[in-house]
Amino acid sequence: MKLKRIVQAALVLLFLGVAKVPLEERVTERLRAENLLSPPLTLEVRENVGQMSFAAALGGLRSLVASIVYLEAYTAFENSEWAKVDSLFQLITRLQPRMVSYWEQAAAHMAYDAAAYYLKSEEIEPAVRGRLFQEHVDRGIAFLEEGLTYLPDSARLWARLGDVYKYRVKSPKKAAEAYWKAFECGRQPFLQRATAYELSVLPDEEDQRRAYELLKIRYGEGDRYPTVIAKIKQFEEKFGVPLAVRIPEAMPQRSDADPGMNAGPNVDVEGR
Amino acid sequence: MAVPTDPSRDAAEGDRSVDSPAVPAVEVDGLTKVFKGGLGKRRFTAVRDLSLRVEPGEVYGLIGPNGCGKSTTMKAILGLLTPTEGRTSIFGRSSKEVASRQAVGFLPENPYFYKHLNGLETLVFYGQLCGLSGAALKARAMDLLKMTGLEDAADRRGGGFSKGMLQRLGLAQALVHEPRLLVLDEPTAGVDPIGSRKIRDLILEFRERGITVLVTSHLLEQLQEVCDRIGIMAHGKMVREGRLSDLIAVEDQTELIIENASDAMLEELKAVIAKGAASGARLIRAGNPRTTLERLFLEASEKANADEGKGVES
Amino acid sequence: MKGSYARFSLRRILALASATLTQLIRMRILVFLLIFSAIVVGVGFVFPLPTPEQQLKLLKDVSFGALQFFSVAMAVVATALLLPRDLEDRTLYTILAKPVPRHEYLLGKLLGLLALIGGGLIVMDLILCGVLYVRQEMVFQEFIAALRSEGLETPESTAEVRLMVDQQGLSWTLHAGVFAVFLKAAVISSLALMISTFASSTLFTVVCTFCAVIIGHGQQLAREFFFHRHLDGIWEKAASTVFAILAPDLQMFDIVDNVINGEAVPSGAMLSMTGMGAMYVVGYLIVAHLLFVEKEL
Repeated sequence: MKLKRIVQAALVLLFLGVAKVPLEERVTERLRAENLLSPPLTLEVRENVGQMSFAAALGGLRSLVASIVYLEAYTAFENSEWAKVDSLFQLITRLQPRMVSYWEQAAAHMAYDAAAYYLKSEEIEPAVRGRLFQEHVDRGIAFLEEGLTYLPDSARLWARLGDVYKYRVKSPKKAAEAYWKAFECGRQPFLQRATAYELSVLPDEEDQRRAYELLKIRYGEGDRYPTVIAKIKQFEEKFGVPLAVRIPEAMPQRSDADPGMNAGPNVDVEGR
Repeated sequence: MAVPTDPSRDAAEGDRSVDSPAVPAVEVDGLTKVFKGGLGKRRFTAVRDLSLRVEPGEVYGLIGPNGCGKSTTMKAILGLLTPTEGRTSIFGRSSKEVASRQAVGFLPENPYFYKHLNGLETLVFYGQLCGLSGAALKARAMDLLKMTGLEDAADRRGGGFSKGMLQRLGLAQALVHEPRLLVLDEPTAGVDPIGSRKIRDLILEFRERGITVLVTSHLLEQLQEVCDRIGIMAHGKMVREGRLSDLIAVEDQTELIIENASDAMLEELKAVIAKGAASGARLIRAGNPRTTLERLFLEASEKANADEGKGVES
Repeated sequence: MKGSYARFSLRRILALASATLTQLIRMRILVFLLIFSAIVVGVGFVFPLPTPEQQLKLLKDVSFGALQFFSVAMAVVATALLLPRDLEDRTLYTILAKPVPRHEYLLGKLLGLLALIGGGLIVMDLILCGVLYVRQEMVFQEFIAALRSEGLETPESTAEVRLMVDQQGLSWTLHAGVFAVFLKAAVISSLALMISTFASSTLFTVVCTFCAVIIGHGQQLAREFFFHRHLDGIWEKAASTVFAILAPDLQMFDIVDNVINGEAVPSGAMLSMTGMGAMYVVGYLIVAHLLFVEKEL
């Protein structure tokens, strides 16, 4: 092969190399801004996931690696190995930080499954059980809050946060704030209702008036759930709303199986 | 055996040599090729200051021992490698120009084709590379397969071809675009005597049709039958070149072959020769001329085929 | 019949491409497609996972993993076989003894290979879409039935489940993901072709190209070190500079992970990736031509 051609080839490669680097930077930044490329993997991930999986993740198979680690996490869940569930979900969410259901499930495993496990565990001293319960509920909240840093507009994550505040922390104020954020992101009617329900049990009159307004909006949009009607009737009485303006329905009989009570389709009465 | 062709043979596009009979079919002028050694290898001069000229319409044989530079010379002529010094041209066009190869058909030594393509597909492929297309190309390919005795292998993949079949397919692909120059590297290597005879007959037919042929072979007796001119190479140089008849004639000997001569006639002839002893003439050998093993084989095969034909009829 | 010589001939290129494509198809590449189909169907229907999202996601993950494996393996191995095999078998002599410019030979080979990879990806895309669509509907019905049995089926809950399943189900962005996989394969193929023009054997080409692919997936890290972080050692700086300049950024095409998650792919992003892919391919082809044009055969 002639030396002249080798030199020409090397120069073209060099020119291509130098020209492409700023273009690569620009395109990569653009793709990351559009959430099409994930942030670079850290060495911490490499240590936790093993070399082969790290290589696979580098090679464009992050989603697959995350799914495989998820299977491992699910097995750990079935075996009630909560520390392992926690660490594996940390890894999964690092691999795919924009996957809503991973944050959701991580939070659910901590705030509900692990917390309930420790609360009911007879092998643990009663004094410790309560602390472990609270720690795991806080861990669930931490997962959701971290997820919201990547997905600030995720109605689902805000709604799950609301659920944890409602069913685990028993803080209607924080639950209402979270449900309201969820509604602003997703505009789903049940989230507006959930906000109203939480506000309705707060002692502050301002919160109650706001709950009443939201319930009226829901009523106006066609929601005729027994709880909606019951709460509107309660507030009409409390605030002395003129008869002409009141809703025509009478106070309904309360039903335990009222689906309108729940924040959404994913949860049962316990908030799971 | 006829070589299928289009009667209207227009000149190749842009060919400068059509109206100029002085332009040689192949011209090699001062060709030198040095292969630079890689790590730990010395430089190797394959061809040194070689010059040769092949006139249009003649059959030129290039012979020499293994490693003498024949293949390197052929590759330089075909533009497959670049000379270190000197130049080569085809019908006046430098070998470096891709267009020069429009006029050339090349049969390499031990040709090998894509295993996955069948006979017909192979010829169509090479035809397309030469600018041919369509139904006409397919028809030509079928004709060439028939000519080379490969029509039954038209839909057989190249991986199932024997060596002889590959050789014949190679010849067919060299002819697909009706080249004016054929370069054949060991065309009869590995081919049985019948096939070999067919190829030699074809070469003679090419010559009659005005196709120039540049051929190399180790089978010198076969070359002797077809070539007009010969070049003998050794150690990268041309050591002898000229018309075959001039080169191989034993100038000071005369051969007479007589049929049905009586003993008396032979004695008379010997006496006449003896009378010319004063001028230095002498009888070297008298006896029955020998046929060649090849001719014996061909005659035996033809007779066997004929007998088999008669057996079938009866 | 005599052909005529044209300086540039699409017919010649397509003849070479077609022969390459036929060669690769008749090497039973289609068997891989059958295996792929079996994997997709198996993963889609055999693995029971707790949530419908995970079921659909796993199906897509495994399918795209197989797609990527197929395309990268083809790009490396099949390309590495093309030129060196033609040279070893001396088929190259008969081709280049015809009026075929060497750059057309390279173009034709690459085009044939890309046609095979592209065709294979299209078939696999269709299989994935078919299985995904069927599974998506099954999963949706199963979930609604579960809600119904717990008395939680309402129009709102049904709408939410539909949204959740659709986000993980069939969407147009999946095709964008497949196209990105194809772009990456095209870059790797042209890189392999370039390496094969100076490599001494098929094995050497395969090994070198695989190394280049691995380095290409770490090129972003090298750029990261070079541009954004301080490196103290001169050797570290030199190494990261060399990798950043010489290696292509193959991770740029790895949008599949986020496409699986339902992220939209704007046309501007597609154009950027396509432009970069085209730049790599053209650049490597030019280098390949420079190295091949006077190669002694």
